[in-house]
Amino acid sequence: MSEKTIVITRFDPDRDEKPRKQEYTVPCEPNWKVLDAVNFIKDEIDATVSHRWSCRMAVCGSCGMMVNGQPKLTCKTSLDDYGDHIEIEPLANFPIVRDLVVDLDGFMDKFEAVKPWIIRAKEQAADVEDLNGKGTYSQTTEQLSAFKQFSMCINCMLCYSACPVVANEPEFLGPAAIALGHRYNMDSRDEGKEERNEIFRGEGTVFSCSYANECSEVCPKNVDPAAAVNQAKFEAVIDWAKGLVLPRGGA
Amino acid sequence: MRALLLKLEPVIWLLFGQGILIGTMLLTPFIAVVGLLVPLGIVDAEALSYDRAHAIATAWLFGVIPIGQLLLAALLVLPLWKGAHHVRSLLIDFGGGERDGAVGSLLYAIALIGSILGVMAVLAL
Amino acid sequence: MAGPSHSESMAPPKPGRTRTAPPQMPSSWWGEKRIRTYLLFDATGILYFLIGFQAIRLTNALAAGPAAWKAAIESLSSPLYIAFHLLCLVSVVFVAVRFFRLFPKAQPPSIGPLKPPPRPVIHGMLYVVWIGITFGLGGILAGVFF
Repeated sequence: MSEKTIVITRFDPDRDEKPRKQEYTVPCEPNWKVLDAVNFIKDEIDATVSHRWSCRMAVCGSCGMMVNGQPKLTCKTSLDDYGDHIEIEPLANFPIVRDLVVDLDGFMDKFEAVKPWIIRAKEQAADVEDLNGKGTYSQTTEQLSAFKQFSMCINCMLCYSACPVVANEPEFLGPAAIALGHRYNMDSRDEGKEERNEIFRGEGTVFSCSYANECSEVCPKNVDPAAAVNQAKFEAVIDWAKGLVLPRGGA
Repeated sequence: MRALLLKLEPVIWLLFGQGILIGTMLLTPFIAVVGLLVPLGIVDAEALSYDRAHAIATAWLFGVIPIGQLLLAALLVLPLWKGAHHVRSLLIDFGGGERDGAVGSLLYAIALIGSILGVMAVLAL
Repeated sequence: MAGPSHSESMAPPKPGRTRTAPPQMPSSWWGEKRIRTYLLFDATGILYFLIGFQAIRLTNALAAGPAAWKAAIESLSSPLYIAFHLLCLVSVVFVAVRFFRLFPKAQPPSIGPLKPPPRPVIHGMLYVVWIGITFGLGGILAGVFF
């Protein structure tokens, strides 16, 4: 058991004009994660602290916070990695709703904008005879491997907090949204690549990415969004070039 | 301004990408030899005498490809686009998101003017 | 311990039901080693601009004739230019190393029927080509070949 000083950002929109810091002394057990310390504060010291968490095992993506200036999943971050003084702040680059809780509506908007679903020119009916006669889509392992890594995203938003472009360009779609859009572009079942590439070249342009690679450095699931975004740039250019040479039919 | 830049992004990105890839590879021997080894006397200055330098710059491959002028044009033009793109990115990193339309356009305009001057210089050889 | 991000960063499409505090960036962001390296990488753009214009100046001198060329080459011996070129060389190598590390993962899984080689192979090939061009072209410029 060791005592640590945890400094938490507090913000109550009804009482505070701007966020402030509050210190707590927490008796930390060995093998605790940062989330355990925050939960201890809420349970035992100050019930007014607000924070998001859920699964405790790094699959839900709820508990993202800045720990000593770095975006982390607090359920996965060991207290032993830090000294006796730890600063916990809400995720960077997001508006703060209260204490450690940020407003994710901006992300949801960008998320929907990339149309993260299979787009087919014509839906395959269940009774249509296709390759295996059941109206299902077939996919080889190789086809799966083209996009599987990018489907592992848990929407924890750490990449948005790490990205210098997100911090400075409000319209930028951001790492997770682009990675997800790219995941669908690379899916052999999908036929919506041209639609998505138009969005990728629109206001939220993928070309704003300056390849800082910070998103991939902080991603807890090794999604490598930097690879996705930069592959997406290439794909968007191919589509743009095709559009110059072959006018799109019907559009 | 920003709308114009959005339209031109693919072209700019391609030029910038080649600026880093081809530009960097060509710049290395150029800076090393012309910028350092010859001025410092480590390599004999005769290697860059007017006749020899002019011959290299206007060399032909198989008699049909003006390889000297092509590589020289790449050396003059491509690094400018890498430069413009990265300076734009640097200024955005320092909180310049709002001014990006104007600043970006200015930087690419400089790169474009430089590119034209570069091509003119190469053609004048 | 925080500074402001862009005030509209990740702003919701319509305002929420309660007042929010503006988005922040940790002030330690600027001191992070990885971030400093990234900012330096972007800053090399300034040097690329300058060396590009230097090369244009030299080409103009070459086109102008032997006297102009000689004067231009001799001007390169000034300590200011030597320092500038040394700085450029270091930057170019720095850019190459960082770019070669990131380039392989930016390649699409396939271009039509063609698939790129495995990432370590691409990484190695970039170095081979770079070293080849450096010694090849450098050798020609330095009078070692031809």
